[in-house]
Amino acid sequence: MPVQQDALWYKDAVIYQVHVRSFLDSSGDGNGDFRGLAQKLDYLQDLGINTLWLMPFFPSPLRDDGYDISDYRTVNPLYGTLDDFKNFLEVAHKRGIRVIIEMVLNHTSDQHPWFQESRSSRSNPRRDWYVWSDTDTKYKGTRIIFLDTELSNWAWDPVSKQYYWHRFFSHQPDLNWDNPAVREEMWDVMRFWLDMGVDAFRLDAVPYLVEREGTNCENLPETHGVIKDLRTRLDREYPGRMLLAEANQWPSDLRAYFSTGDEFHMAFHFPLMPRMFMGVKLEDRKPITEILKQTPEIPETCQWCLFLRNHDELTLEMVTDLERDYMYDEYAKEKAMRLNLGIRRRLAPLLDNDRRRIELMNGMLMSMPGTPIVYYGDEIGMGDNINLGDRNGVRTPMQWDGGWNGGFSTADPETLYSPLMLNPVYGFQAVNVQSQKRFDHSLLAWMKRLIKIRKSTAVFGRGSIQFLYPANHRVLAYVRKLGNETILVVNNLSSSAQAVELDLKPYKGNILVEMFGRNVFPRIGDLPYLLTMGPYQFYWFKIRRV
Amino acid sequence: MPDESILSDEFIRELINVGEVDILVGVPTHNDARTVGQVVQAVRAGLLKYFPRARSVIINADGGSRDGTRDLVCAASINDTVGSNLPALRTLHSISTQYEGPPASGTALHTILAAADLLQAKACAVISPESTSLEPEWVERLLRPVIREGVDLVLPVYRRHKFDGMLIRNLVYPVTRAVYGCTVQEPYPSDYAFSSNLGSNFLNQDLWTQEQGRHGTELWLTLAAIIGRYRIYQSFLGTRGRLESPPSDLVKAMRETAGLLFCSMDCYPAAWKDSREPLPAPCGGCQPAVSLEPMRVNRKRLHQMFTFGISQLEPVFSSILSTPTHEELKRLATLPENEFELPEPLWARTVYEFAAAYHRAVIGRDHVVQALVPLFRGRALTFLTENREAKESEIESNIDKVCHAFEAEKPYLLQVWDGGK
Repeated sequence: MPVQQDALWYKDAVIYQVHVRSFLDSSGDGNGDFRGLAQKLDYLQDLGINTLWLMPFFPSPLRDDGYDISDYRTVNPLYGTLDDFKNFLEVAHKRGIRVIIEMVLNHTSDQHPWFQESRSSRSNPRRDWYVWSDTDTKYKGTRIIFLDTELSNWAWDPVSKQYYWHRFFSHQPDLNWDNPAVREEMWDVMRFWLDMGVDAFRLDAVPYLVEREGTNCENLPETHGVIKDLRTRLDREYPGRMLLAEANQWPSDLRAYFSTGDEFHMAFHFPLMPRMFMGVKLEDRKPITEILKQTPEIPETCQWCLFLRNHDELTLEMVTDLERDYMYDEYAKEKAMRLNLGIRRRLAPLLDNDRRRIELMNGMLMSMPGTPIVYYGDEIGMGDNINLGDRNGVRTPMQWDGGWNGGFSTADPETLYSPLMLNPVYGFQAVNVQSQKRFDHSLLAWMKRLIKIRKSTAVFGRGSIQFLYPANHRVLAYVRKLGNETILVVNNLSSSAQAVELDLKPYKGNILVEMFGRNVFPRIGDLPYLLTMGPYQFYWFKIRRV
Repeated sequence: MPDESILSDEFIRELINVGEVDILVGVPTHNDARTVGQVVQAVRAGLLKYFPRARSVIINADGGSRDGTRDLVCAASINDTVGSNLPALRTLHSISTQYEGPPASGTALHTILAAADLLQAKACAVISPESTSLEPEWVERLLRPVIREGVDLVLPVYRRHKFDGMLIRNLVYPVTRAVYGCTVQEPYPSDYAFSSNLGSNFLNQDLWTQEQGRHGTELWLTLAAIIGRYRIYQSFLGTRGRLESPPSDLVKAMRETAGLLFCSMDCYPAAWKDSREPLPAPCGGCQPAVSLEPMRVNRKRLHQMFTFGISQLEPVFSSILSTPTHEELKRLATLPENEFELPEPLWARTVYEFAAAYHRAVIGRDHVVQALVPLFRGRALTFLTENREAKESEIESNIDKVCHAFEAEKPYLLQVWDGGK
């Protein structure tokens, strides 16, 4: 089943985020690789996902898990060869699975030859490929993102005796996007991968591309100019490919990255994610409906990307101080769980391994307006290791079975890129794919069903949304609609059973068909529609005229 | 089980939508549109500021207002359709119900208690719609001791004018302190808080069909807490605003105070006759609670009403009072206003004899209570005269003097309680 030709394919996608290094080691060196990933495409196809998002796999000193790239045009030898990648891509496409790869535009590793040349002397032709200054006082209004590790956005280079600009770690100097040569080079890098057949790029850290004095150096018009230029080139030379923005911003600021449909196709909805966790903990839909009300309309061809967890910390940048304190107290009771302005934990431990809550959160993820992303391992309820530094605790090896190294690698355990999860609750012997394949009611089996039902209709990916606001604030209800198809989603955010009355007058005379069991519920009449819901229960109903 | 039939179906539907809560703030009203909006907004601000994470609800128990009171309370709601610009983590329901029957603070409290029980509120505060000087901090000072320290009843301490609340200062407070051994300055509160434990216990008491279940119920709650040896705490709130309102009906006030005190002494003699350890009621943030602005008082009228009462109610007093007490009061009635003084020991003995007469029902109990009114006017005149030029500390010490007199005369109460005059 090769990939279908549909320009809006990303609207119907169910994305699976995976790090090549974490998935399967075919060579026995302790690191996952492309051959291993290709071996597991059957598993991913069976799970039902139709798009893969790969984290950076380029050569890198790996001081930021690959987001510090030292060569954009090949594959890190740890993960295989360029031919391995090409083979993987071909096999994925044959299975109808598209591939999104990372493109870190904002910065390189300080080990990248470009930076080595740039720092070698002030007269080097690549000097202007990065942002240099005699003082560390320029762009004073710019916030520091990695508060736990960086004191300034400037770092002193003892070689060329100037400061260089970096929005992230000091070993990740920012490229100078005001330099046309940089623009041309980076487009050439993108073409390199597009020619090979990759379907999309996740463009990392896009708000920070350009700096201007007197601003906060985020979301500047010049940055949008860069994106528009890339999009124009992409549409002209590679129609049907897609750009996904990583911009941790408020929805109103994010809106500009869609522009009139001529910048990004998709962008992550960062503020929604923490509010979903908040809503479930508060047992109150208010945080969720509020942020979605603040979310502006986007062009028809654009789409939000939704996620519960990813490779980073659960970011709390886009919440108020009051909300952040609450989230820390409720979801990160131990200090080791906190990192920067966020919480470095996986989905299952965040939800106390409560199957009902895990299902509810995934149910919301799959039914809200946008394209959902499943982070690798969350489909089986993998845990995290907060004793590992940085965000490595959520990047441990995939747990395939209860055998040697959890089926991840034949290497000696000491040589694995990361320790395996071993504890009795989340360890690979307790939580693994093989054991969950045996049972029809495992989380894995349930996720397969959920994804299948999500994909059974285009409403979730492309339909409109209308909130119902029942008087019971513990219940989040909305109607998704596309053409003649209408779906009612009702989520009980509470840990206790709830009764809720829904105003379904516009659908009077219709019946409800529950989408998981296909059971028919009573016809909608004049009175408010009464539903009783178990703790953390959710319903997806098709509203059908009989 | 509490009787939930007092809650209407519509109100129960609203409570279902509210669900379980941590904090319930009740606001009893009847045509309070002039003040209730401001009060409820301050309550909401207090909840958002001091209990932002708590599941809270504001419940208005209304006695049939026709001035838009209920709408003003409901306007304080915060949800995803209104008030979302406020820094609120959660939905805050502010709902209103009209209870059946005539307006009565006890019926309102009954409704609030039943709702709190249904919603399993861990802490409950009741705020008067007339507390126009209410600051958000009051909400914190009332509720925090219940939520954080396991206190069962938090009573307010206000900064009051020296001549405010004279019935409380000269009768309710001294009797509560002397008879029940608990020093609570405002035993008949208008703003207070209590635990779910005390609330449930009180809700299940058999009082809601009786007079104390309709009027003076707040005092009955205090007495129930004292008698039940619950943990009591007092919180200094600040100045209580004074509303310009018609003079209160003293007979009604006497029924709700002295009447209830006598009734509780009659119902629960073991709670005060046996010697018990005093029940502590520590005060948080207490400070001199008296203000001294000049105030016009018609002392002459008080004197006239005392002397008139003594002569008019001669047969009633003969049934209630001992001869020495009666004679002494009659002698006082002959004194001119400028020489008049009803001293504390005589006042204490008088009140105790009334309590005993109430207990023994020498005449109709309501008549006993009503007959105390003119005598109280004499005591009020004395208090006014004594404290006309008094400073804060002198007033406090004079109130203490009244209490000491009641404490000193407690053996006399025991003596007259079951004996003759």
